[in-house]
Amino acid sequence: MLTIVARAIIIYLVVLFLYRLMGKRQLGQMQPFELVLTLIIADLATIPMAEVSVPVLHGIVPLLTLVILHFVLTFLSKISNKFASFLSGKPVIVINPDGIDYKALKNLNLSVDDVFEAIRGCGYFKIEQIQYAIMETNGKMSVLPKSQYAPVTVEDMHIETEKSAIPINIINEGKIVKENLPIADIDESDVKNILEQAKIRKVKDVLILTVDKNGSVYIQKFNEKYQTMQLKPLGQVQE
Amino acid sequence: MTKYIWFKLFAILFIVGVLIAICVVEDRVVVSSLNEVKNYCYEIEETAKKNGIVDGEVASLVDNLEYSWIVNEGKMCFMVNHKSIEQLGIEIVRLKTYIDEEEPIEFFVSLEIIKHYVETFQHFMGASFHNIL
Repeated sequence: MLTIVARAIIIYLVVLFLYRLMGKRQLGQMQPFELVLTLIIADLATIPMAEVSVPVLHGIVPLLTLVILHFVLTFLSKISNKFASFLSGKPVIVINPDGIDYKALKNLNLSVDDVFEAIRGCGYFKIEQIQYAIMETNGKMSVLPKSQYAPVTVEDMHIETEKSAIPINIINEGKIVKENLPIADIDESDVKNILEQAKIRKVKDVLILTVDKNGSVYIQKFNEKYQTMQLKPLGQVQE
Repeated sequence: MTKYIWFKLFAILFIVGVLIAICVVEDRVVVSSLNEVKNYCYEIEETAKKNGIVDGEVASLVDNLEYSWIVNEGKMCFMVNHKSIEQLGIEIVRLKTYIDEEEPIEFFVSLEIIKHYVETFQHFMGASFHNIL
């Protein structure tokens, strides 16, 4: 049993390392050749794990070979568009201003029901709301609605807004994330001020505290409702 | 180039290096181990034909074969399925029993089986078009 435990650990670490090396794509975003690779890797990894008579190398060698093959294919796809379309296919327009392109559907082996399902997934329930729908190479549908059905944007409304800013975690589950303080342009005394303003005594009582570049603060104690405040000027707290 | 790309490039080269090293080491270890067994077999056969199987020299050669196989089997187990080579070990143990029981026919049969396994395995492990397909 100890052998199986040790083998499981070794193979887990190898597969984890290889997946990290290959990138962070999720199952739904994979190109066909990436999906094939994932399926084979999953299968290969289990053989030496469960069968003690098979050397671990019999699992690791094909895994490493497949990863090298993956890099070669990815590299070739990057340098040659033709090779990329051979490997992953091309995006296909399935709905155009005239309606559903049945020939394209047949080529993709899709039914009209599949198209309806995909556009419903994009938030549209009527074909006439759609200008173009494109079947992407990863199997997802991208939809461009007709302008009268497109969601209204802030730009359409001519409203002035603040620039968007990413909230930076300053306290996470009771601990100050020190490396984020310079990114948010604050120091520990600012954090103390924020906590005083929010009537919180200890850092360890805070579930989450975020600050963005606009000075917006979000703070929440464990098991309590959140509060928001504005830092202005930077380092001084103002509600 | 960013640090991550350098790391990736290094990792790829490292993996390629590891794969090449594994292939070379496997070939060296398997070929030398099997050749050693084969050479012992021919030596035992020659001595046994000359002196008979109940002979101190034959017994000593079989012991040497067994010892060398134990050492080589340990190395080969890193690269070869254990089940594929376990029969060789069994036949070597049988050789010793046939010497004790004074059964020359079975002894020579067992010796032939060992040689057959070694040759089959050498063929099976070699990189050839037949094996690839």
